[in-house]
Amino acid sequence: MSLATTSANHGERLRSRLRKTAPLLVLVGLCILIGVTSPNFLSLPNGIRVLTAASIPMVLALGATFVILVGGIDLSVEGNIALSAIVLSLVLSGPLGTLGLWAVPLAILAGAAMGAANGAAHVGLRIPSFMVTLGTWFVGLGLGTVLLGGGTIRIVEPSIRALSLTRFVGLPLLVWIAAAALLVAWVLQARTRFGRHVYAVGGAEDLAALSGIRVGRIKVLVFILAGAFYGLAAVMSAAQIGQGNAAVGDGRLFTTITAVVVGGTSLAGGDGGVIETAIGVLIVAVLANGMILLGIPPYVQQAVQGLMIIAAVAISIDHRLFRIVK
Amino acid sequence: MSAVPSLARWRDAAPALFLAVLVAVITVATPDFAQPGNLLGVLADTATLFVLAAGMTFVILIGGIDLAAHTIASLSSVVVALLLPTLGYGAFPVALAVGFASGLFSGVVHVRLHVPSFIATLATSGVVSGVALLVSDARTISIDAAGRSQLAWITGSVAGVPAVVLIAAAVFLACAFVQRFTRFGRRSLAIGAGEPAAWASGIRVGRQKIIAFALCGTLAALAGALLAGRLSAGTPVLGNQLLLPAIASVIVGGTAITGGAGGIGRTLIGALIITVVRIGMTFVGVNIFAQQVVFGLVLIAAVAVTIDRTKIPIVK
Repeated sequence: MSLATTSANHGERLRSRLRKTAPLLVLVGLCILIGVTSPNFLSLPNGIRVLTAASIPMVLALGATFVILVGGIDLSVEGNIALSAIVLSLVLSGPLGTLGLWAVPLAILAGAAMGAANGAAHVGLRIPSFMVTLGTWFVGLGLGTVLLGGGTIRIVEPSIRALSLTRFVGLPLLVWIAAAALLVAWVLQARTRFGRHVYAVGGAEDLAALSGIRVGRIKVLVFILAGAFYGLAAVMSAAQIGQGNAAVGDGRLFTTITAVVVGGTSLAGGDGGVIETAIGVLIVAVLANGMILLGIPPYVQQAVQGLMIIAAVAISIDHRLFRIVK
Repeated sequence: MSAVPSLARWRDAAPALFLAVLVAVITVATPDFAQPGNLLGVLADTATLFVLAAGMTFVILIGGIDLAAHTIASLSSVVVALLLPTLGYGAFPVALAVGFASGLFSGVVHVRLHVPSFIATLATSGVVSGVALLVSDARTISIDAAGRSQLAWITGSVAGVPAVVLIAAAVFLACAFVQRFTRFGRRSLAIGAGEPAAWASGIRVGRQKIIAFALCGTLAALAGALLAGRLSAGTPVLGNQLLLPAIASVIVGGTAITGGAGGIGRTLIGALIITVVRIGMTFVGVNIFAQQVVFGLVLIAAVAVTIDRTKIPIVK
């Protein structure tokens, strides 16, 4: 090996390491910048506020991370949240209302079922995932609204409301749920065969298939897992606002995808993971909190997130490969 | 020549046949449907959807997708409502220019930064709707009586034909001309049919793609202006209900999301199918939310039928 190629390799490795640590640097830089301009930012109550605001996006983004890791995308986030939250509120307000916390698994099951439909249509009909999930996004919204008859249902069940209102060691239960979800997602990603197969499929699907991995099954599982996470996030949203309707998920898709790609998980698949996503979620939450502290109108947030998606994806895409981008 | 048409031929003719059957069924069920006045009403209801879908057609033909078109329509409606009192007719060119710029932005991000089109346009939709909410202060801006006189070209009618129908017809002719008789039109088809071959034969693929997105943005802005005219108001969320029907119109008409096959004539049939299905469902008593479920499923089914799987060995 000549000296030139070694130094090129070295430079490449340095670049890739820089790219890996960039999100963390951005997060620290943001905290310092906002902390300097607005001293309130670094107070303990505000820290808790940021973590609370980050908890629902965290659960959503963890689910979406697995889909993006296999090289797919899931646009049905808002439809799934609407459907799962409405299933939860209908169960609680119906004859099964005595179920209390046991209604939560039903809502998660509804989310997982919708994920299974996504995965089955994507793999079975061989349609790109963005198209399937674009369709099911509206199917979920519509189904939820039809089930509900168009209105909204208040959730008075104290055990559900407690998820948002009770604190444990100073933090709302929502934050602990998000932390537990992160742990579960990390174990699935790093310590199971399923996790390794996800990376194999995302890295090179044809090679994964040739080496005996049942690619279709992994993809369906990934969509089911994502749906279950959205279902959990729907429960958290419903607990937070105290009602179930089709609008609970509004705006969540955007934050979810921003968090995943800003954290450094590649849309091409096979690169990134749940720890990266956790950092991405914190970046989005800190930025949103900082913009509120600085008095910037909330609508600007969506525009800023749009630009962040573009920047993050543009930086992470490997320009050396000549390939067709559609 | 075989007596039985091949599967491909049948698939080509299917959307038009389906439309004919739909119209026949509804006419039998409600004879009033076929009255000329009612048919013109159906066309007027289709006009805005068709204009939006016409722009989308160019993007889908090159194998891309535009998930920002509905937000561009919303922004355009806000721009028209805001500027009509001061600029008069000048508000419309400004709205179209804003749409052109938004489409151009999507296209440049997609092509120059190598961002997949669905994510580039999703990001653009966030930026555009953020801008629409900001300039409108998240409110509906109604157009007062003084401004409505300048909307006559949208709300009026010529010899009994609603003006929007004529505008949509003009858009159809212009798009058909662009698609068939301009270099951009033919190159778009070539790119959709096989991008590496188009690239190798010297077509500047990136530039054609950017033009397609800019054209889509401009037509989306026109659709937004038409909506603002019909509703006498601009709203930052006006177009939200239009994205799914617009994409569904293109696909149901028979243009494949893999690009290369289809065109504006098919989109016209697709948009008519979507409108007639909606009218039929309303007639039968299916509520508007259940209609959303149907359109979502129709979209998935139409993609499954039209997609050319030989072009995407690995479906992601």
